[in-house]
Amino acid sequence: MRHPEDQLIPYLRGELDGALRTSIEGHLSECAACRAQSAALAETLTLIKSGIEQMPAPPWEPYRAELRRKLAARREQPRPQRWWRVNLVWGSLAAAGAAAVVLLALTLSRGPSGQESPIMDQIAMADTMSHTDVDLLRDYPVVEHLDLLENYDVIEHLDEVAPPQTNATTQS
Amino acid sequence: MPGPNELELSDEELCRRTAAKDVMAFEQLVERYQPRTYRLATSILSNEADGRDVSQEAFIRLYESAHRFDGRARFSTWFYRILVNLCIDHQRRNKWWKKNVPLGRSDDNPDQPAIDPASEAPGPENLMMGSDNARRLKQALTKLSPSQRAAVMMQLQDDLSSREVAEVLNCSETTARVHLHRGVVRLTKLLKED
Repeated sequence: MRHPEDQLIPYLRGELDGALRTSIEGHLSECAACRAQSAALAETLTLIKSGIEQMPAPPWEPYRAELRRKLAARREQPRPQRWWRVNLVWGSLAAAGAAAVVLLALTLSRGPSGQESPIMDQIAMADTMSHTDVDLLRDYPVVEHLDLLENYDVIEHLDEVAPPQTNATTQS
Repeated sequence: MPGPNELELSDEELCRRTAAKDVMAFEQLVERYQPRTYRLATSILSNEADGRDVSQEAFIRLYESAHRFDGRARFSTWFYRILVNLCIDHQRRNKWWKKNVPLGRSDDNPDQPAIDPASEAPGPENLMMGSDNARRLKQALTKLSPSQRAAVMMQLQDDLSSREVAEVLNCSETTARVHLHRGVVRLTKLLKED
Protein backbone atom coordinates (compact mmCIF):
# COMPACT_ATOMS: atom_id res chain seq x y z
CA MET A 1 0.00 0.00 0.00
CA ARG A 2 1.33 3.45 -0.90
CA HIS A 3 1.51 6.09 1.86
CA PRO A 4 -2.12 7.03 2.53
CA GLU A 5 -1.37 10.72 3.16
CA ASP A 6 -4.79 12.16 2.23
CA GLN A 7 -6.53 9.54 4.36
CA LEU A 8 -4.66 10.28 7.57
CA ILE A 9 -6.84 13.19 8.73
CA PRO A 10 -10.12 11.40 7.94
CA TYR A 11 -8.66 8.43 9.84
CA LEU A 12 -7.75 10.59 12.84
CA ARG A 13 -11.19 12.21 12.78
CA GLY A 14 -12.87 8.82 12.77
CA GLU A 15 -14.46 9.27 9.35
CA LEU A 16 -13.25 6.00 7.90
CA ASP A 17 -14.75 2.64 8.55
CA GLY A 18 -14.56 -0.94 7.39
CA ALA A 19 -11.81 -2.15 5.10
CA LEU A 20 -10.24 1.29 4.57
CA ARG A 21 -9.79 1.90 8.29
CA THR A 22 -8.29 -1.56 8.75
CA SER A 23 -5.86 -1.05 5.89
CA ILE A 24 -4.73 2.36 7.25
CA GLU A 25 -4.20 0.80 10.68
CA GLY A 26 -2.19 -1.97 9.05
CA HIS A 27 -0.06 0.54 7.15
CA LEU A 28 0.56 2.68 10.25
CA SER A 29 1.74 -0.35 12.21
CA GLU A 30 4.41 -0.96 9.55
CA CYS A 31 5.36 2.55 8.35
CA ALA A 32 7.28 4.74 10.80
CA ALA A 33 7.14 7.79 8.49
CA CYS A 34 3.34 7.70 8.31
CA ARG A 35 3.13 7.13 12.07
CA ALA A 36 5.25 10.23 12.63
CA GLN A 37 3.18 12.24 10.16
CA SER A 38 -0.03 11.04 11.75
CA ALA A 39 1.20 12.14 15.20
CA ALA A 40 2.25 15.56 13.85
CA LEU A 41 -1.11 16.03 12.13
CA ALA A 42 -2.99 15.04 15.30
CA GLU A 43 -1.05 17.66 17.24
CA THR A 44 -1.78 20.37 14.65
CA LEU A 45 -5.47 19.47 14.58
CA THR A 46 -5.67 20.02 18.35
CA LEU A 47 -3.77 23.30 18.03
CA ILE A 48 -6.04 24.53 15.22
CA LYS A 49 -9.20 23.59 17.12
CA SER A 50 -8.18 25.49 20.21
CA GLY A 51 -6.95 28.42 18.08
CA ILE A 52 -10.31 28.65 16.28
CA GLU A 53 -12.17 28.68 19.58
CA GLN A 54 -9.99 31.53 20.86
CA MET A 55 -10.21 33.66 17.72
CA PRO A 56 -11.28 37.23 18.47
CA ALA A 57 -14.90 37.97 17.73
CA PRO A 58 -16.81 41.21 17.40
CA PRO A 59 -19.37 42.18 20.06
CA TRP A 60 -22.46 40.34 18.90
CA GLU A 61 -25.20 42.73 19.95
CA PRO A 62 -24.07 45.53 17.54
CA TYR A 63 -23.52 42.83 14.89
CA ARG A 64 -27.11 41.64 15.22
CA ALA A 65 -28.46 45.21 15.40
CA GLU A 66 -26.69 45.97 12.11
CA LEU A 67 -28.06 42.76 10.61
CA ARG A 68 -31.62 43.71 11.65
CA ARG A 69 -31.22 47.13 10.02
CA LYS A 70 -29.93 45.57 6.80
CA LEU A 71 -32.75 43.03 6.75
CA ALA A 72 -35.39 45.71 7.35
CA ALA A 73 -33.92 47.83 4.55
CA ARG A 74 -33.97 44.83 2.21
CA ARG A 75 -37.61 44.09 3.01
CA GLU A 76 -38.61 47.67 2.27
CA GLN A 77 -36.96 47.60 -1.14
CA PRO A 78 -39.21 46.53 -3.99
CA ARG A 79 -38.14 43.14 -5.18
CA PRO A 80 -36.08 43.60 -8.34
CA GLN A 81 -37.62 41.84 -11.30
CA ARG A 82 -35.45 39.00 -12.39
CA TRP A 83 -33.84 39.54 -15.79
CA TRP A 84 -35.01 36.19 -17.07
CA ARG A 85 -38.61 37.00 -16.20
CA VAL A 86 -38.44 40.25 -18.15
CA ASN A 87 -36.80 38.44 -21.02
CA LEU A 88 -39.38 35.69 -20.86
CA VAL A 89 -42.26 38.14 -21.34
CA TRP A 90 -40.63 40.09 -24.15
CA GLY A 91 -39.17 36.93 -25.64
CA SER A 92 -42.60 35.28 -25.75
CA LEU A 93 -44.17 38.32 -27.38
CA ALA A 94 -41.38 38.55 -29.93
CA ALA A 95 -41.60 34.82 -30.67
CA ALA A 96 -45.38 34.98 -31.10
CA GLY A 97 -45.05 37.98 -33.43
CA ALA A 98 -42.33 36.31 -35.47
CA ALA A 99 -44.39 33.11 -35.74
CA ALA A 100 -47.41 35.08 -36.98
CA VAL A 101 -45.33 36.88 -39.62
CA VAL A 102 -43.71 33.65 -40.83
CA LEU A 103 -47.08 31.92 -40.99
CA LEU A 104 -48.63 34.78 -42.93
CA ALA A 105 -45.74 34.82 -45.37
CA LEU A 106 -45.99 31.05 -45.87
CA THR A 107 -49.75 31.22 -46.38
CA LEU A 108 -49.47 33.96 -48.99
CA SER A 109 -46.48 32.51 -50.82
CA ARG A 110 -47.83 28.97 -51.05
CA GLY A 111 -50.16 28.32 -53.90
CA PRO A 112 -52.86 25.66 -54.03
CA SER A 113 -50.23 23.06 -54.92
CA GLY A 114 -48.34 23.49 -51.62
CA GLN A 115 -46.11 20.55 -50.74
CA GLU A 116 -46.79 20.40 -47.01
CA SER A 117 -49.43 18.26 -45.42
CA PRO A 118 -52.79 20.09 -45.28
CA ILE A 119 -53.35 18.75 -41.77
CA MET A 120 -50.11 20.29 -40.55
CA ASP A 121 -51.09 23.51 -42.30
CA GLN A 122 -54.40 23.50 -40.54
CA ILE A 123 -52.88 22.86 -37.15
CA ALA A 124 -50.37 25.64 -37.62
CA MET A 125 -52.99 28.00 -38.95
CA ALA A 126 -55.48 27.20 -36.22
CA ASP A 127 -53.01 28.53 -33.65
CA THR A 128 -53.10 32.00 -35.08
CA MET A 129 -56.51 32.33 -36.69
CA SER A 130 -59.45 34.15 -35.25
CA HIS A 131 -62.75 32.33 -34.95
CA THR A 132 -64.07 33.93 -38.16
CA ASP A 133 -61.13 32.45 -40.05
CA VAL A 134 -62.06 29.02 -38.77
CA ASP A 135 -64.91 29.10 -41.27
CA LEU A 136 -62.26 28.85 -43.97
CA LEU A 137 -61.09 25.58 -42.50
CA ARG A 138 -64.62 24.25 -42.49
CA ASP A 139 -64.79 25.05 -46.17
CA TYR A 140 -61.30 23.73 -46.85
CA PRO A 141 -62.43 21.34 -49.63
CA VAL A 142 -63.64 24.43 -51.47
CA VAL A 143 -60.71 26.66 -50.60
CA GLU A 144 -58.07 24.20 -51.70
CA HIS A 145 -59.45 24.33 -55.21
CA LEU A 146 -59.27 28.10 -55.39
CA ASP A 147 -56.47 30.28 -56.44
CA LEU A 148 -56.58 32.65 -53.49
CA LEU A 149 -55.03 35.58 -55.23
CA GLU A 150 -57.15 35.34 -58.36
CA ASN A 151 -60.41 34.43 -56.73
CA TYR A 152 -60.24 36.43 -53.55
CA ASP A 153 -63.73 37.82 -54.04
CA VAL A 154 -65.11 34.27 -54.05
CA ILE A 155 -64.01 33.75 -50.46
CA GLU A 156 -66.48 36.32 -49.29
CA HIS A 157 -69.26 34.22 -50.77
CA LEU A 158 -68.08 30.76 -49.87
CA ASP A 159 -71.55 29.73 -48.76
CA GLU A 160 -72.75 30.22 -52.28
CA VAL A 161 -70.02 28.09 -53.87
CA ALA A 162 -70.85 24.46 -54.32
CA PRO A 163 -68.27 21.97 -53.00
CA PRO A 164 -66.12 20.36 -55.71
CA GLN A 165 -67.55 17.22 -57.20
CA THR A 166 -65.73 14.00 -56.57
CA ASN A 167 -64.64 11.97 -59.64
CA ALA A 168 -67.26 9.36 -58.92
CA THR A 169 -70.02 11.96 -58.87
CA THR A 170 -68.75 13.61 -62.07
CA GLN A 171 -68.63 10.33 -63.89
CA SER A 172 -72.13 9.41 -62.83
CA MET B 1 -39.46 34.36 26.80
CA PRO B 2 -38.86 31.01 25.16
CA GLY B 3 -39.29 27.90 27.23
CA PRO B 4 -36.52 25.33 27.75
CA ASN B 5 -37.79 23.20 24.86
CA GLU B 6 -37.65 26.22 22.56
CA LEU B 7 -33.94 26.54 23.24
CA GLU B 8 -33.28 22.96 22.20
CA LEU B 9 -34.92 23.08 18.81
CA SER B 10 -32.78 21.63 16.04
CA ASP B 11 -31.29 23.85 13.38
CA GLU B 12 -33.53 22.20 10.83
CA GLU B 13 -36.67 22.96 12.84
CA LEU B 14 -35.60 26.56 13.38
CA CYS B 15 -35.04 26.86 9.64
CA ARG B 16 -38.53 25.52 8.94
CA ARG B 17 -39.95 28.12 11.33
CA THR B 18 -37.86 30.82 9.72
CA ALA B 19 -39.40 29.82 6.40
CA ALA B 20 -42.76 30.64 7.99
CA LYS B 21 -41.31 34.06 8.89
CA ASP B 22 -40.94 33.30 12.59
CA VAL B 23 -38.54 36.07 13.58
CA MET B 24 -37.73 34.50 16.94
CA ALA B 25 -36.60 31.29 15.24
CA PHE B 26 -34.49 33.31 12.83
CA GLU B 27 -32.88 35.22 15.71
CA GLN B 28 -32.06 31.94 17.41
CA LEU B 29 -30.38 30.63 14.29
CA VAL B 30 -28.38 33.84 14.01
CA GLU B 31 -27.26 33.59 17.63
CA ARG B 32 -26.32 29.96 17.17
CA TYR B 33 -24.39 30.48 13.97
CA GLN B 34 -23.00 34.02 14.21
CA PRO B 35 -19.51 33.16 15.55
CA ARG B 36 -18.98 30.25 13.17
CA THR B 37 -20.37 32.10 10.14
CA TYR B 38 -18.33 35.20 10.89
CA ARG B 39 -15.12 33.21 11.45
CA LEU B 40 -15.62 31.13 8.30
CA ALA B 41 -16.31 34.18 6.10
CA THR B 42 -13.44 36.13 7.66
CA SER B 43 -11.09 33.20 7.13
CA ILE B 44 -12.08 32.61 3.51
CA LEU B 45 -11.91 36.30 2.62
CA SER B 46 -8.94 37.12 4.89
CA ASN B 47 -10.61 40.36 5.82
CA GLU B 48 -12.68 41.21 8.88
CA ALA B 49 -14.86 43.93 7.36
CA ASP B 50 -15.67 41.81 4.30
CA GLY B 51 -16.25 38.77 6.50
CA ARG B 52 -18.69 40.76 8.61
CA ASP B 53 -20.63 42.03 5.57
CA VAL B 54 -20.73 38.70 3.78
CA SER B 55 -21.74 36.76 6.90
CA GLN B 56 -24.60 39.22 7.51
CA GLU B 57 -25.63 38.89 3.87
CA ALA B 58 -25.68 35.10 4.34
CA PHE B 59 -28.15 35.52 7.22
CA ILE B 60 -30.32 37.79 5.08
CA ARG B 61 -30.32 35.17 2.32
CA LEU B 62 -31.20 32.56 4.91
CA TYR B 63 -34.22 34.60 5.99
CA GLU B 64 -35.31 35.11 2.39
CA SER B 65 -34.79 31.56 1.17
CA ALA B 66 -35.34 29.34 4.23
CA HIS B 67 -38.34 27.82 2.40
CA ARG B 68 -35.92 26.28 -0.09
CA PHE B 69 -34.26 24.13 2.58
CA ASP B 70 -35.64 20.67 1.87
CA GLY B 71 -34.02 18.82 4.78
CA ARG B 72 -32.06 16.43 2.60
CA ALA B 73 -28.75 17.77 3.93
CA ARG B 74 -27.89 19.05 7.39
CA PHE B 75 -28.86 22.68 7.88
CA SER B 76 -25.21 23.68 8.41
CA THR B 77 -24.18 22.17 5.07
CA TRP B 78 -27.00 23.96 3.25
CA PHE B 79 -26.32 27.27 4.98
CA TYR B 80 -22.55 27.13 4.45
CA ARG B 81 -23.18 26.53 0.78
CA ILE B 82 -24.96 29.91 0.71
CA LEU B 83 -22.10 31.51 2.63
CA VAL B 84 -19.33 30.04 0.47
CA ASN B 85 -21.14 31.06 -2.72
CA LEU B 86 -21.41 34.61 -1.37
CA CYS B 87 -17.68 34.57 -0.56
CA ILE B 88 -16.92 33.37 -4.10
CA ASP B 89 -19.11 36.15 -5.57
CA HIS B 90 -17.41 38.67 -3.32
CA GLN B 91 -13.94 37.50 -4.39
CA ARG B 92 -14.97 37.61 -8.04
CA ARG B 93 -16.26 41.17 -7.74
CA ASN B 94 -13.16 42.12 -5.80
CA LYS B 95 -10.94 40.66 -8.51
CA TRP B 96 -12.82 42.57 -11.17
CA TRP B 97 -12.54 45.74 -9.10
CA LYS B 98 -8.82 45.31 -8.47
CA LYS B 99 -8.23 44.48 -12.13
CA ASN B 100 -10.19 47.41 -13.51
CA VAL B 101 -9.56 50.01 -10.82
CA PRO B 102 -5.92 49.38 -9.86
CA LEU B 103 -5.60 51.70 -6.89
CA GLY B 104 -3.68 49.22 -4.77
CA ARG B 105 -0.02 48.28 -4.83
CA SER B 106 1.54 47.82 -8.25
CA ASP B 107 2.38 44.20 -7.45
CA ASP B 108 -1.19 43.29 -6.52
CA ASN B 109 -2.06 40.11 -8.33
CA PRO B 110 -5.78 39.44 -8.33
CA ASP B 111 -5.18 35.83 -9.29
CA GLN B 112 -3.13 35.19 -6.16
CA PRO B 113 -5.85 33.68 -4.00
CA ALA B 114 -4.37 33.60 -0.55
CA ILE B 115 -2.92 36.79 0.79
CA ASP B 116 -5.02 39.85 1.31
CA PRO B 117 -3.06 42.69 2.94
CA ALA B 118 -6.23 44.01 4.55
CA SER B 119 -6.07 41.14 7.02
CA GLU B 120 -2.75 42.37 8.40
CA ALA B 121 -4.24 45.57 9.75
CA PRO B 122 -6.01 45.21 13.06
CA GLY B 123 -9.72 45.84 12.64
CA PRO B 124 -11.88 47.34 15.38
CA GLU B 125 -12.82 43.81 16.42
CA ASN B 126 -9.22 43.18 17.40
CA LEU B 127 -9.76 45.43 20.38
CA MET B 128 -11.04 42.20 21.85
CA MET B 129 -7.76 40.36 21.68
CA GLY B 130 -7.73 36.65 21.19
CA SER B 131 -4.99 34.41 22.50
CA ASP B 132 -1.52 34.26 21.00
CA ASN B 133 -2.38 30.86 19.58
CA ALA B 134 -5.41 32.33 17.82
CA ARG B 135 -3.39 35.26 16.47
CA ARG B 136 -0.77 32.92 15.02
CA LEU B 137 -3.40 30.66 13.53
CA LYS B 138 -5.21 33.59 11.97
CA GLN B 139 -1.97 34.80 10.45
CA ALA B 140 -1.08 31.33 9.16
CA LEU B 141 -4.53 30.80 7.63
CA THR B 142 -3.97 33.77 5.31
CA LYS B 143 -1.16 31.81 3.62
CA LEU B 144 -3.54 29.00 2.56
CA SER B 145 -5.70 28.96 -0.53
CA PRO B 146 -9.38 29.94 0.07
CA SER B 147 -10.49 26.34 -0.52
CA GLN B 148 -7.96 25.02 2.00
CA ARG B 149 -9.06 27.63 4.54
CA ALA B 150 -12.71 26.76 4.00
CA ALA B 151 -12.02 23.02 4.33
CA VAL B 152 -9.97 23.46 7.51
CA MET B 153 -12.52 25.76 9.13
CA MET B 154 -15.56 23.68 8.26
CA GLN B 155 -13.99 20.42 9.41
CA LEU B 156 -12.36 21.66 12.58
CA GLN B 157 -14.77 24.37 13.65
CA ASP B 158 -18.04 22.77 12.61
CA ASP B 159 -17.06 19.13 12.50
CA LEU B 160 -18.37 18.70 8.97
CA SER B 161 -17.38 15.43 7.31
CA SER B 162 -15.31 15.33 4.11
CA ARG B 163 -18.48 14.50 2.21
CA GLU B 164 -20.27 17.55 3.62
CA VAL B 165 -17.29 19.80 2.89
CA ALA B 166 -17.31 18.44 -0.67
CA GLU B 167 -20.99 19.30 -0.92
CA VAL B 168 -20.42 22.86 0.26
CA LEU B 169 -17.39 23.41 -1.98
CA ASN B 170 -19.07 21.68 -4.90
CA CYS B 171 -16.19 19.27 -5.45
CA SER B 172 -15.51 15.56 -5.00
CA GLU B 173 -14.91 14.06 -1.58
CA THR B 174 -11.35 13.20 -2.64
CA THR B 175 -10.69 16.84 -3.57
CA ALA B 176 -12.12 17.99 -0.23
CA ARG B 177 -9.74 15.61 1.58
CA VAL B 178 -6.80 16.91 -0.45
CA HIS B 179 -7.73 20.51 0.46
CA LEU B 180 -7.85 19.58 4.13
CA HIS B 181 -4.65 17.55 4.07
CA ARG B 182 -2.64 20.23 2.26
CA GLY B 183 -4.09 22.95 4.47
CA VAL B 184 -3.21 21.15 7.70
CA VAL B 185 0.28 20.17 6.49
CA ARG B 186 0.96 23.80 5.54
CA LEU B 187 -0.38 25.02 8.88
CA THR B 188 1.84 22.52 10.72
CA LYS B 189 4.85 24.01 8.96
CA LEU B 190 3.78 27.64 9.42
CA LEU B 191 2.91 27.26 13.09
CA LYS B 192 6.29 25.61 13.74
CA GLU B 193 8.16 28.39 11.93
CA ASP B 194 6.37 31.12 13.85
